Amino acid sequence: MSLDLSVGDTIGPLTVPITRTTLVRYAGASGDFNPIHHSDHAAAELGLPGVIAHGMLTMALAMRAVTTELGGPQRVVGQYARFRKPVPVPDDGIGTQLQVSGEVAEVADGVAKIKLEATCNGEKVLGQAAVEVRVD
Amino acid sequence: MPISAEHIGRTFPPGDPQLISPERVAAFADALGDSDPIYRGADALVPPTFVMSAAASAWQAMFDDPELELSLARTVHADQRFLWHRPLRAGDLITPQLTITNVRARGGNETIGIRVSITAREAEAVAEGIDTGAEEVCVAESTFVHSRPAGDDQEGTA
Repeated sequence: MSLDLSVGDTIGPLTVPITRTTLVRYAGASGDFNPIHHSDHAAAELGLPGVIAHGMLTMALAMRAVTTELGGPQRVVGQYARFRKPVPVPDDGIGTQLQVSGEVAEVADGVAKIKLEATCNGEKVLGQAAVEVRVD
Repeated sequence: MPISAEHIGRTFPPGDPQLISPERVAAFADALGDSDPIYRGADALVPPTFVMSAAASAWQAMFDDPELELSLARTVHADQRFLWHRPLRAGDLITPQLTITNVRARGGNETIGIRVSITAREAEAVAEGIDTGAEEVCVAESTFVHSRPAGDDQEGTA
């Protein structure tokens, strides 16, 4: 069964809340226990204003927008992103919000390239983010 | 001599095989707030970026190589690329192996490119002795920016 994706089709937007609890769960589930993702002290030592989200969590949530739209990960063949800006997650009971949206930029040779935009507080946190999915 | 272009092509021994259990997959999907039933149960598919934990476990071999004089604490993960030949599934027994693909030095920094190849076997087939061999299922490519400690600048400007 082929997938009907054309240039200009959009994905999302998906808005995902990120709290300190999200970071703890992701640390446990991924095995990434870098203290800058749970300790303000460790983050400050690296010159950060406070705890930041794992770059790979941001990437995983951006991907979630795509797999939700496509009904699963079966067609995903590639993904790329630069970690452009940190995503600060304050310990204030609210945390932050990541917003993800995508647009099909190209369909060629049975593969659609979806450009993704992930923003936090209006700033792009991933650079050149893109996902490639099989359409045939 | 610290890491340099001479180390491009160095491949480290593969890491330990890791079983993708349905429980690990569900915990990962839970952490993403993703309730899709496709990620639950004995036949679960795996969220695409789950494979990062196996890829990152292979980084250790490079950081532990005393010749390269690298420190994880002075390393920034600049970008990440994945290529999947097929989605991973619960019950896959996966093995990561790291190769250094690029090294560029500038001032006190090195930009380092690595490629981690992830191969899989079916755990049940391995247990029953009917395994037909490992196949590459994913490639995880990362770029790191590594800063050398002060006073260790090859250009002598520190």
